[in-house]
Amino acid sequence: MVKNWKKLALGGVIVLVALVPLMTQRTDFLTWFTLILLYITLSQSWNIIGGYAGQINLGHVAFFGVGYLAARYLWLFGVPLPLALLAGAVAAPLLALIVGAPVFRLRGVYFIIGTLVFAEILKHIAWTAIPIASVLPAEYLTAYSLVPRYYLSLIVAILAVAVVYVISKSKLGLGMMAVREDEDAARTSGVSILKCKLSAFIISTALAGLAGGVFAYYATGAYAGSVFEPIWTFDSVLIVFVGGAGTVIGPIIGSVFFVLLQQLLAVYLPGGFHLVVFGVMFILVVLYLPGGMVELMGKRRR
Amino acid sequence: MILEVQNLSKAFGGLMAIKQVDFTVDEGQIAGLIGPNGAGKTTLFNLIIGLLKPDTGKITFDGKDITGLAPHRICQSGIARTFQLTRSFMHMTALQNVMVGWVYGGGEASSMKQARVESERILEFTGLGGKYLSAAAMLGLVDRKRLEVARALATKPKLLLLDEMMAGLNPTEMEDAMQLVKRVNESGVTVIVVEHVMKAVLGLSKRVIVISTGEKIAEGTPQEVVRNKQVIEAYLGEEQYSLD
Amino acid sequence: MVELLAQSFANGIIIGALYGLAAVGLSLIFGVMKILNIAHGEFLMLGGYAAFWIFTLTNIDPFLSLPLVAIGLFLLGAGIYKLLFSGVARLQGELRMNSSLLVAFGLCLIIPQVATVLWTGDERAITPVYSGTAFEVLGIRFGYVPMAGLLVAVVVTFGLQIFLSKTYFGKSVRGTAENWKAARLMGINVDRTYLLTFALGAAIAGVSGILVGLTQVLLPMVGMSWTLKALIVLVLAGMGSIGGTLVAGIIIGVAEAVSHIFIGPYAIVVGLVIFLLILMFRPQGLFGKA
Repeated sequence: MVKNWKKLALGGVIVLVALVPLMTQRTDFLTWFTLILLYITLSQSWNIIGGYAGQINLGHVAFFGVGYLAARYLWLFGVPLPLALLAGAVAAPLLALIVGAPVFRLRGVYFIIGTLVFAEILKHIAWTAIPIASVLPAEYLTAYSLVPRYYLSLIVAILAVAVVYVISKSKLGLGMMAVREDEDAARTSGVSILKCKLSAFIISTALAGLAGGVFAYYATGAYAGSVFEPIWTFDSVLIVFVGGAGTVIGPIIGSVFFVLLQQLLAVYLPGGFHLVVFGVMFILVVLYLPGGMVELMGKRRR
Repeated sequence: MILEVQNLSKAFGGLMAIKQVDFTVDEGQIAGLIGPNGAGKTTLFNLIIGLLKPDTGKITFDGKDITGLAPHRICQSGIARTFQLTRSFMHMTALQNVMVGWVYGGGEASSMKQARVESERILEFTGLGGKYLSAAAMLGLVDRKRLEVARALATKPKLLLLDEMMAGLNPTEMEDAMQLVKRVNESGVTVIVVEHVMKAVLGLSKRVIVISTGEKIAEGTPQEVVRNKQVIEAYLGEEQYSLD
Repeated sequence: MVELLAQSFANGIIIGALYGLAAVGLSLIFGVMKILNIAHGEFLMLGGYAAFWIFTLTNIDPFLSLPLVAIGLFLLGAGIYKLLFSGVARLQGELRMNSSLLVAFGLCLIIPQVATVLWTGDERAITPVYSGTAFEVLGIRFGYVPMAGLLVAVVVTFGLQIFLSKTYFGKSVRGTAENWKAARLMGINVDRTYLLTFALGAAIAGVSGILVGLTQVLLPMVGMSWTLKALIVLVLAGMGSIGGTLVAGIIIGVAEAVSHIFIGPYAIVVGLVIFLLILMFRPQGLFGKA
């Protein structure tokens, strides 16, 4: 009985969310929702590598950016959007495999900083090599509507949540969590650390690349470098930790709060102040409440 | 014999932690591995399970040469190990801990459902029935030790290495633990116990190997070993370990 | 071409000394307590702004306000350590490093935003009357202010070296760095040593910030890029040599300046690439023990 109720509620939420564009014409509402859904995708993708597998990858934005570039340029070149998105979702893990392999051999703090530096290198190259902003051509601009962007964001977000849910219930999820908890104990229990980390990395970056593709479709104009700015990574990390790392619902809650806080605070304070609030919450989570908001609410569905 | 260790050596920097150690363990036995603190017993376990690679020597398990293999391969071949300071997966439930062992160390593909059922059975076997869904961090020391054994058993081992299971247990708990080890052995698993608590070693093992400063100094039945002059000397500095 | 090369070399040495000094503070903290304070650049930024405002509001020369800023950052560092890191310092090994890194990460997000609210996002630079003046030797231009900055960097580094090797407290810091358990047994108050080391690292960062304010620009967001520079130098130098850290900084500075001639704006990637290469192939750095 209970399970059916939960499924029903979930279905209801999805239907409601799907109907939002029909219920409001306000572009600011639609923008907020679209952004929330984008952040859900991006944070869930980080949740896989950081929350479940326990690898603090601070270079996440690199994969978002690569996905964006691939999707953006293919789409503007005339490739049908679904293919362009797919390209983005494939380009990112490809980058991960080629360049990520050496970085992945680093341990502990060196891995964390190494991933950050790796993404910084790509950021500098992006800013320098593509200094001109990519702006949608006139026909695209006049035909621009938030509604399809919203629905794309929604579909991708549902996909991301579904992927994380499946992982959380799967053998791979068990392996990833074991790697997170104690690598040696995992090894001696038969877990191939390399395989688990690699799988987590590939799935995580593929979703990040897909998120990049969504952003490519959404953005009317953007500098290539801006899509590689570390703030995207930091936002994801904040959302995952504060919402509840290693849970399915944590990043969803976190994303909602994050975007709402961002939009509300921006009215009174300079653009980034929501980061102060989230930064403080982040520190509190790290020091006192590792389960984040999910733990706070008493639910620990892992 | 199920395990044969030949001429095993391992050095850390200039320090010889294990020096040309040879021994064998027969199938179905409970063997004891004892020695004073720092003798290298845990290092020996780490070498057998593959967490450390030996400098020289050969380890043969169940007819196969496992020297230098990766730990997860060795686990899948049938050797499991518990740790001296329990290393459970703290933020996972007891059930999930054991399922990791079943899914990854078991050797044959199984569904998650099957893994769950079997893991519950193993948790019962080790006395953790009813605590499946507790996070490992919530369990007390004794239960976590049981959990480590359960997780190890889930990997369907032919050989189980128990590293100082009795440490920190009171006499009742120790009796329970010894019963558990016997039950495990009766189910067909060969066991090697590293122990400081002589009572446990003497009560459990038919055969004892003694290591001191990295070298094997004696081997035999518990009664023989206890009377061995070299063994007594090795332990002389350790007041708390009486040999009776 | 030769002139360009020589000038770039000179510029590189000067900015490299700045990188080195920034790294020295970071290296001190990491070496002693195994905490990678990635908010180091934030202390640098705050120090720079402090000198800027002191100079703008009271006209006190930044080189004169240097001790004041150092003390201020020392106290701030002590406070932040006490509030946020003292608990983390009780953890061991990788848990300590990861947790402290995450806490510092939180600070990296908070501090620049607060600074933006307080001081706006406008670029600031500390420009006393004599900035821009220079002297020439063999056709190479040496600015007085950057040269003074180089001097400060060398003096502070040298001073720290002496402090660590000659004073009681300095020796207790080194002892704690090597083996905190043994240090504790010898009567050294490890918690207090950690607190003072962290505060000292923050103070050095603050001094670096003043030099940055004098030779470059200050922005609330400038912290992270300086933290990265310090990290690159730290990894290149390895642990164990304060002087080596300064030298490594100069190497990076020169490498960037010279490569700018050949690869222009991509020069900024040089340091980052060196960082990754060192991490992968010689993790102990140039001067560290293997």
